[in-house]
Amino acid sequence: MLTAKENMRETVRGGNPDRFVNQYEAVSILMHPYMMTQPLLKRGMENVVNGWGVTNSFPENVPGAFPVHTPDKIVVKDFENWRDYVHAPSLKFSDELWNICKDMYAAVDGTKAYKAAFVAPGIFEQVHHLCSMQEALMDYMEYPDEMHDLIKYLTDWELELAEGICSNLHPDAILHHDDWGSELNSFLRPSIFEDFFLEAYQKIYGYYHSHGVELIIHHSDSYCANLLPTMIDMGIDVWQGCMHSNNVPECLAKYGDKISFMGEIDNKQVDFEGWTYADCEKAAVHAMETCGMKHFIPCITQGGPGSLYKGTYQGLWDAIDDYNCKHFGFTKEQLEAQRLPISIMF
Amino acid sequence: MSLENVHDLVVRGKAKLVPAAVQETLDEGVEASKILDTMISAMDVVGENFKNGTIFVPEMLIAAKAMKKGVEVLKPHLASGAAGALGKVIIGTVAGDLHDIGKNLVAMMIESAGFEVIDLGVDVPVEKFLAAYEENPGVKIVACSALLTTTMPALQETVTALNAAPWRKDVKVMVGGAPITQEFADKIGADAYTPDAASAAKKAKELVAA
Repeated sequence: MLTAKENMRETVRGGNPDRFVNQYEAVSILMHPYMMTQPLLKRGMENVVNGWGVTNSFPENVPGAFPVHTPDKIVVKDFENWRDYVHAPSLKFSDELWNICKDMYAAVDGTKAYKAAFVAPGIFEQVHHLCSMQEALMDYMEYPDEMHDLIKYLTDWELELAEGICSNLHPDAILHHDDWGSELNSFLRPSIFEDFFLEAYQKIYGYYHSHGVELIIHHSDSYCANLLPTMIDMGIDVWQGCMHSNNVPECLAKYGDKISFMGEIDNKQVDFEGWTYADCEKAAVHAMETCGMKHFIPCITQGGPGSLYKGTYQGLWDAIDDYNCKHFGFTKEQLEAQRLPISIMF
Repeated sequence: MSLENVHDLVVRGKAKLVPAAVQETLDEGVEASKILDTMISAMDVVGENFKNGTIFVPEMLIAAKAMKKGVEVLKPHLASGAAGALGKVIIGTVAGDLHDIGKNLVAMMIESAGFEVIDLGVDVPVEKFLAAYEENPGVKIVACSALLTTTMPALQETVTALNAAPWRKDVKVMVGGAPITQEFADKIGADAYTPDAASAAKKAKELVAA
């Protein structure tokens, strides 16, 4: 029987997994000093400013902190002169902080799970955190040269972050967030997306790949099927968050040998008030039976292990385990022995 | 020719060129209301293009911006209120929800269709929706959005409060947002649900025409 990590590797490589990967079971999400030195918002906290000058709030009933873009709080007031407003936070950290992170990495059993450094927000998100979504989207069209310059600035900063992470922590996976679309479409036309983001991500993901990172897991819980050729060229190994609207079976048929898909179970299918195990089972079984085991990982589309409503992630976890036991002859105890205990981030 | 030019420039989102084109068309003696109708029809094209996936959010945003620039030039030449002749629409994202882009797109498309939009922003409590109606006589539509399953209850509370208002029969209630469905809209007693901004503008026109 394969460990959870070996099973995920077989799945992603199109080899011989011996069961379905259960959501994030083989991905241990780990911090780095930059994340640790940024304000950690808890539910109910409002108007907290981060290292980029972006103001965030975390309302009670939402999954995470959210940038606040009232006119007084938008960082970039004049996009043509973004350099006057955007000042990247320092990435120089003490040995003490690095050592705390090293201990976290060392504590993870790397035979059972990938040690995945968590990076968020990505370049696209950082642009709209700084400018507001509406202005940023128009700026791609109206000020393309300035946008290219800003993206280069953000990319260079991310490369410095990657250098610190790889040289100190040696992760073998990266979970990198950057939401590129709504449920129905990508925010940007594919040609424009490629123009602005392909080179940036080839550099970032190329750096990670050439410095010991086996899997780039990119999170975008959205429609991105139209961006897949570019995502493959960027070097993404696993697209986490692929929503049902992408027609994942069709994506698998077209691109499954080049990129793997982790998702298909939209939060709205299972993560609502009054959810039941039957809802989870129905969604999980549907995902597994329509997408198959190669290059596909059934998973809630949310960008980390957890759910908005308490217990939903565990409900899906149990449903996938039950399916694996029933169809592949394992016992729950055997599954548990080959993976780390369930970890719920939120 | 000038009207065609205005139409084309709005569709292509040429915000810097539209004001001069509108002025040129006015100088040629074309009635302001006709130019406005041309821009509204241009935004219909934009809406359809967005709906069928041939254009993306940025193109839609810059088209709406171009139209807005054109309307600024037209306003002194239009009869009072002509730019929002279809009536007033109150719009907002419900309490606890900070998503704004979808709501903004709907607001722009509705405004471009000929409504006056009163945008309450994001994280709007029920009381603010009710107060906005009281403060703005003649509102035809209240449009509310929720982008998360966790804020759907807030949408339900908002619509329930609107349904209980004494003036409910005078106003139509529209809802939208990623997790919202027609079934949910029916359940909470909204008058209309639309899945995207272009459909919302079209539905708003139908609702006030009915």
